[in-house]
Amino acid sequence: MSKGLEGNDNRGARELGAEEKVGWDEVTQGVVLHSFVGESKNAAFLKPEERVYNDFNSYTATVASWRIIKPIYNRDICIDCQNCWVWCPDTSIISRDKQMLGIDYDHCKGCGVCVEVCPTNPKSLLMFNEAADNDAELENWPVKEKKAK
Amino acid sequence: MAKEFELNEVEVWDGNYAASQALRQAQIDVVAAYPITPSTPIVEGYGAYVANGYVDGEFVMVESEHGAMSGCVGAAAAGGRVATATSSQGFALMTEVLYQASGMRLPIVMTVVNRALASPLNVRGDHSDMYLGRDSGWIQIDAFNAQEAYDLALCAFRIGEHLDVRLPVMMHQDGFTTSHKAQNVYPLKDSIAYEFIGKYIPVDDMLDFSRPVTHGAQTEEDWHYEHKAKQHKALMDSRTVIDDVFADFKELTGREYKRVESYMMEDAEVALVLLGSSVETAVLAAKQLREEEGLKVGVVAPRCFRPFPYDLVRDALDVSSLKAVCCLDKSAPGGAMGALFNEVSAAAYSTKARPMMTNYVYGLGGRDFAVDEAKRIMKEQKAHADAGHITTDIQQFSGLRGPKLGFFKTRRD
Amino acid sequence: MTEIRWHSRAGQGAVTGAKGLGSVVATTGKQVQAYALYGSAKRGAAMNAYNRIDDEPITNQETKMFPDFVFVIDPALAFSDDITKNDKPDTQYIITTHLSKEDLIAQIPALQDKADRTYVVDCMQISLDTIGRAMPNTPILGAFMKISKMYELDFFLENMKKVLAKFPQKIIDANMDAITRAYNEVK
Ligand code: SF4
Ligand code: SF4
Repeated sequence: MSKGLEGNDNRGARELGAEEKVGWDEVTQGVVLHSFVGESKNAAFLKPEERVYNDFNSYTATVASWRIIKPIYNRDICIDCQNCWVWCPDTSIISRDKQMLGIDYDHCKGCGVCVEVCPTNPKSLLMFNEAADNDAELENWPVKEKKAK
Repeated sequence: MAKEFELNEVEVWDGNYAASQALRQAQIDVVAAYPITPSTPIVEGYGAYVANGYVDGEFVMVESEHGAMSGCVGAAAAGGRVATATSSQGFALMTEVLYQASGMRLPIVMTVVNRALASPLNVRGDHSDMYLGRDSGWIQIDAFNAQEAYDLALCAFRIGEHLDVRLPVMMHQDGFTTSHKAQNVYPLKDSIAYEFIGKYIPVDDMLDFSRPVTHGAQTEEDWHYEHKAKQHKALMDSRTVIDDVFADFKELTGREYKRVESYMMEDAEVALVLLGSSVETAVLAAKQLREEEGLKVGVVAPRCFRPFPYDLVRDALDVSSLKAVCCLDKSAPGGAMGALFNEVSAAAYSTKARPMMTNYVYGLGGRDFAVDEAKRIMKEQKAHADAGHITTDIQQFSGLRGPKLGFFKTRRD
Repeated sequence: MTEIRWHSRAGQGAVTGAKGLGSVVATTGKQVQAYALYGSAKRGAAMNAYNRIDDEPITNQETKMFPDFVFVIDPALAFSDDITKNDKPDTQYIITTHLSKEDLIAQIPALQDKADRTYVVDCMQISLDTIGRAMPNTPILGAFMKISKMYELDFFLENMKKVLAKFPQKIIDANMDAITRAYNEVK
């Protein structure tokens, strides 16, 4: 452990789930970080939640606390165009078989890009304060904007 | 005309801001620079002075650090006062051009904010980049805090541009520990700072059309060696100019700098030799150990890393009571003893006392250097002194997790 | 030597606050250090800022400190950060929260035996009311002046005005209100 050393406190490690900091004899050769624990030949055919990610894989870390605003997703309007999935810089749009399912709030950093690229009217994704209640906001979703002539 | 910048008698500046203010006061003709953590604020700050009318010179945006140093070389050969700033990977990318700058005898000033070199990628401070520059033919001066980053940046122009020197100068400070830590800084007024540095005197400038010159000529076995020898002599001889500039600076400000700083060495039995911001921590540790345990500890810090002050390091260590000296290197030595250890040992070899010499690698990638750790290392030196021989491996690692790592022992029969 | 550790999120102004405090202190002839340690330099990520204040030049360049004061300027960090790290028997805690001191301490095991040296003040609400956005960095200094008695409030306000001089008058006034309110409201 990093006893008495402030240079690298444990905060980042805790977020990554790697609290035990090992010594020089145990770190990997060449700073490689293995994505999965053990054998992982079929990882490509598994959904993320079924894979055995390593502690150092960012999938196991959450950065939810960094977010100040968050996107909320409205299934009723969405046309499954996949724009948000393509553009999200943090792969935080969950989509299966070309169907948009929602937002991965553990990894979404609240940048708002998905909202920008959503083509529906009204948008199927909108940004709200982090503390906003999803159900309440979905109740009050804006209605279609008429194009001004 | 550049506007004057209102400064208070005491400011709270970090090392980056202090260096950028010194660059502004030097009224540089051309700054060509590329941003990189942790020296970015120097470039950023300077850009703001240009935009706000505090600087008359040019700020040249380039595509890389290689481009930055190339731009500096061109502008300096043209006859301008030139400066830049960089760190780490940027420094590494410049390396090819660093040798050109010194070989062409162009007095460029570069404020380097020391940072680790990848891999692993790391933005924190260690001395890897400073060490990378040690054979490049530049003068290398080391600031231990923000005030010194300001003072020594001013001195750097005077030293490099001196007609007997005409060599580029790096002014180093530690990434984050100095560059991002605000402390009390007592700046000079613009006019006084500029007067101290003086007007730039071009030498063999390409823009002097009455005397056209070629810069950067090729030489093979018939000429190369002589030019390199002449350059080396200029670097060695810069020692007296550095001393003179420091003396003038003391007269102006009361703040004293030496090519080798030494603290409490008069009666020291053990000593630490190190560079950068850790010097201050080590001096604090030594004072505390003297008070708490009566241990006679001293600290020696080469302020001038190049030209290496072999003479003054020897003088500092030529203390009859001195028994054990530990040199601390803040750069991964890559299969050798630390560079500071090697160079200081060479100087110590010619002292009468010939103290026992050991080496610690420490602080890599910004690992914190604690007062307590400094004390522990000092006490370990005392143990060597008491035992009459080195009781540990000669090269060890401070603040490293994992089993004890060490190399080489003194041969004892 | 007085040592202060700030617990903040990047973007909440802890570094500006630490430097602001440093600038005020420096004008009174004291020596200061103000620095920060980022885990990840992204807005919203937890970070620490630090101050050292002394009458003599400060040469300790070690990052770690054993703080005399801990400022927690983000309410959530009181729960998620190790705020009592390197604690001394007389370390004092000034924590931004909307909770009462009792309710806060009841929820933070590490503070159980430290009620007599824990202080609360709602710098978030104060800054929203006065400055118009969540900027807890200046009000916390008002609370600090009350607890530490380092300077008289008026003296501190006067000097802080100079530090903020480059801002529009409206913002300076709002900050003065925020500092004064926190000074009066800290419990
Ligand atoms: S807000 Fe940004 S990070 Fe979050 S889901 Fe949308 S695009 Fe991705
Ligand atoms: S961009 Fe909008 S419409 Fe398209 S999939 Fe995403 S949420 Fe649905």
